[in-house]
Amino acid sequence: MTGAEILALLMIVAFIGLVFSGYPIAWVLGGLAVVFTGFAIIFQVDFAIPTNVDWFYTSMTVDRIWDVMENWVMVALPMFIFMGVLLDRSGIARSLLTGFARLLGPVRGGLAITVTVIGVLLAASTGIIGASVVLLGLLGLPAMLEHGYDKRLASGTVCAVGTLGILIPPSIMLVVMADRMSMSVGDLFLGALFPGVLLGGLYIVYLLVIGWFKPGHAPAVRSEPMTLRAAWDLTLAVVPAALLILAVLGSIFFGLATPTEAAGVGAAGALLLAALKGSLTRKVMAEVVEETSRTSAFIFGAIIGAVCFTLVLRGLGGDELIERALLGLPFGPTGIVVCILIATFILGFFLDWLELTLIILPLIEPVVRTLGFDPVWFTVMFAVCLQTSFLTPPVGGALFYLKGIAPAGVDLPVIYRGVVPFIVIQLVGLAIIFGWEDLATWLPAQAYGFR
Amino acid sequence: MRPWDTDLTGIELPETRFSRVVDQALTVIGRAASWLWVVLLAVIVVNVTLRYVFREGRIELEELQWHLNALAFLIAMAYAYRVDAHIRIDLVSVRLRPRLQVWIELYSTLLLLLPFIAVVLWFSFPFVAHSWSASEISSSPGGLPFRWLLKAVIPVAFALLLLAVASRLTRMWAYLTGGPR
Amino acid sequence: RPPGSAGTPVATISAEGVTERIHWRVPLSAPRSLPGAGETPRWFAEALDHASGGGVRIDLYDPGEIVPAFAVTDAVRDRKVPAGYTWLGYDQGKIPSSALFGATPFGLEPWAYIGWWHFGDGRALAEGIYARHNTKPLLCGISGPETAGWFRTPLNSTEDLAGLKIRFAGLGGKVMQRVGASVTMLPAGEIFQALDTGVIDATEFAQPITDKALGFSRIAKYNYYPGWHQPFSATHFVINLGVWEALPQADQGLIETVCMASVGRSLGLSEFQQAPVVAEFPELGVSASYFPEEVLRVLESAAQEVLDEEAAADADFEAVLDSQRAYKAVYGEWRRLAYLPKDF
Ligand code: NA
Ligand code: NA
Repeated sequence: MTGAEILALLMIVAFIGLVFSGYPIAWVLGGLAVVFTGFAIIFQVDFAIPTNVDWFYTSMTVDRIWDVMENWVMVALPMFIFMGVLLDRSGIARSLLTGFARLLGPVRGGLAITVTVIGVLLAASTGIIGASVVLLGLLGLPAMLEHGYDKRLASGTVCAVGTLGILIPPSIMLVVMADRMSMSVGDLFLGALFPGVLLGGLYIVYLLVIGWFKPGHAPAVRSEPMTLRAAWDLTLAVVPAALLILAVLGSIFFGLATPTEAAGVGAAGALLLAALKGSLTRKVMAEVVEETSRTSAFIFGAIIGAVCFTLVLRGLGGDELIERALLGLPFGPTGIVVCILIATFILGFFLDWLELTLIILPLIEPVVRTLGFDPVWFTVMFAVCLQTSFLTPPVGGALFYLKGIAPAGVDLPVIYRGVVPFIVIQLVGLAIIFGWEDLATWLPAQAYGFR
Repeated sequence: MRPWDTDLTGIELPETRFSRVVDQALTVIGRAASWLWVVLLAVIVVNVTLRYVFREGRIELEELQWHLNALAFLIAMAYAYRVDAHIRIDLVSVRLRPRLQVWIELYSTLLLLLPFIAVVLWFSFPFVAHSWSASEISSSPGGLPFRWLLKAVIPVAFALLLLAVASRLTRMWAYLTGGPR
Repeated sequence: RPPGSAGTPVATISAEGVTERIHWRVPLSAPRSLPGAGETPRWFAEALDHASGGGVRIDLYDPGEIVPAFAVTDAVRDRKVPAGYTWLGYDQGKIPSSALFGATPFGLEPWAYIGWWHFGDGRALAEGIYARHNTKPLLCGISGPETAGWFRTPLNSTEDLAGLKIRFAGLGGKVMQRVGASVTMLPAGEIFQALDTGVIDATEFAQPITDKALGFSRIAKYNYYPGWHQPFSATHFVINLGVWEALPQADQGLIETVCMASVGRSLGLSEFQQAPVVAEFPELGVSASYFPEEVLRVLESAAQEVLDEEAAADADFEAVLDSQRAYKAVYGEWRRLAYLPKDF
């Protein structure tokens, strides 16, 4: 191991250590990049140990920040946040949830299942993880807590369901992956559809089981008997919100807008509905835009920090370090794939999808092709691993996003414990896809293969 | 309680004369800039309508979308810092004594955040200057001019962030020394 | 500058016992995995390594790994990296004339561009313009025409251009706007879905082998030619001027020679790769055809107007355009006489 690689390793260790100091990860990431640039220069100048990182190199941070600014696809992020906050503040989300919950009536776990169903629908309209978690967190979490749900179960459900957005197409993660794997985005979108829905289904099964065996954790929502009046109220509550989701999904599927623009269309729709409901006061609007600013800023802040961190980590040879560790494995083809997936799962504890997609995927792409595996099948499993990485402590995007907007009493330990069963479900889902390749490969073959 | 109702997780920091002025200004700027999201929303709707209904694509409007997004989220960073909305993993730290927490925050700010801001600020000046001297415009057909103006938002946003940090530093110092409020 | 900094890592000894004289980080503007555009820089790096016995090595970085695709020349200018391998057209926001070194609508054929670069004014013009940005460009790869785009519905006449929702980059995009199309600049990752759902009716992207890898042939069945907007696509190895001037002559010569070899090889590769892809189109249900002449004529006159306007706004652009046009005018007669007509 070279001196530079030792620095790279120390950088990762320092990150993991400092993250637990409670200091915002955005600044830990960015700060460490600068500090380790300093170390690298000291190594070079004072000890003649080559590190290949200096201030010129680290100054490319600015070009990379510009790259984040220039990214048109990321415009969807604040728009989906805006939509979520507005649905929350205008009371539309509440009526939607209670309406749905009333429909599911005596079913134990019904409210969580409602959140899951809404989450799957949202997943089909956005590809950005922060947005879906925040939206579901604002929508579903307070309602579940109010109806006596276990805090851990409620927050775990929101996190897990929120991450489906990055697996179920459209998804920016799949777009980047397809690019790295030189494969068709369409193939990958279709390949990920069934596995994504499968995971949603597994969540629902789990929620039903919990509802059955531990009714105290997921109580049935007590509701008055269905009268004609109540049915009318329900319709009034459900129809506009359902129309809204249809507006987002519909504008994508009927070619009105790109997923980015659909986020804006959805936000405009929410604005219209809130106005019709008469809850669009200046005060509500001010709250909505300010909360959109706060939430967008911390997500983009973390992205900017990570952009600086990975630059320096890569400069010190951190990516080659990981490559060597992976390729030195003494196993057969299936064994290597399993090891890669396990390694990805473990790396996912600490790194996020962008690093893993940009660093790991290009390294293992030739290996996977040489071994003769279906690239769609493999990439979908890789995607499930990365989706899981959002849920795995200590560094899981979904956990932080939820923490950022959760009501009092739902702190990180609660969220950490809440996601554990869902991580197990993820692994079960992964095993199913591993054993049943058609789940990922059948649909792309049907849709495009013979056209 | 929302995370931005306190300064650090659960700790109230005393205000200082400097922080009162700066925080007030940052709040005003942050709140005003938040309305950019509504402008962004309107631009998207107009663009979609123009293209779908009138079959007229406007690359200016497409670029305006990410221009507005970049402007809004960068300016919001200082505001988010001011209200402490940046995400923390306070798993361990909430169990520590409040004074120790503030010391950790102080040192982290001095050793991590300030160097990061310094690097971005320092290197963003030549970045903007080059763009300005080359009169850089968009390379897209019909794209927007004055690209240096948007690039200049990087140093402006990080300067605002620096102000917010300075304000919090005086407040932490006041807490730790129990000095003038 | 500290020793062994980003530009010039500390020397090591290669397996052949040669001292490593050059070991550079080189960012790319197209990913290594991209069929065609990604292969040429990979070969270039290997060839330098082999020809120098391990003494001259470059490590390639995909766009975004260290710098974004559009910032390659900027990073080289400021010596954040010693060199980059890029499509110069990405510089046109700051250097308008760079567009003409990357691709010119209704411009030269690839081999004619090579001639213009080495024996006409091309190289001197490019070096003069880029010297002002503290860089030196070496022609280091070229490919034949791109396709004129993937369309969901057939394009039969100039009327079909009006309101056509098409994704189109660069100077070609300005031409499409002029003929009444509704042009958009969707990011690469969004094109496929936008085309599939009908947000756009058509898209231009790259050569057939690249476009096929992106899946366009599966969702848009009308593939048009000729590649009027990009008859050649040249790529360049851009080196920081100070770094270049400090190199020993032998290494300058080596890099220049390998670049020339790369130009020939990449043109051969591009021609060799597209043919089988286009040949299998009928099997995939893709109808590949030529634009109606009427459409091509309208595009041509619009293209000349756009080029004239750009030239009026920028003196460098005018100089490069005039030189290319003058050469094309002379070259045209030779081309017409010497080459077989298309159906032979
Ligand atoms: Na999605
Ligand atoms: Na994780």
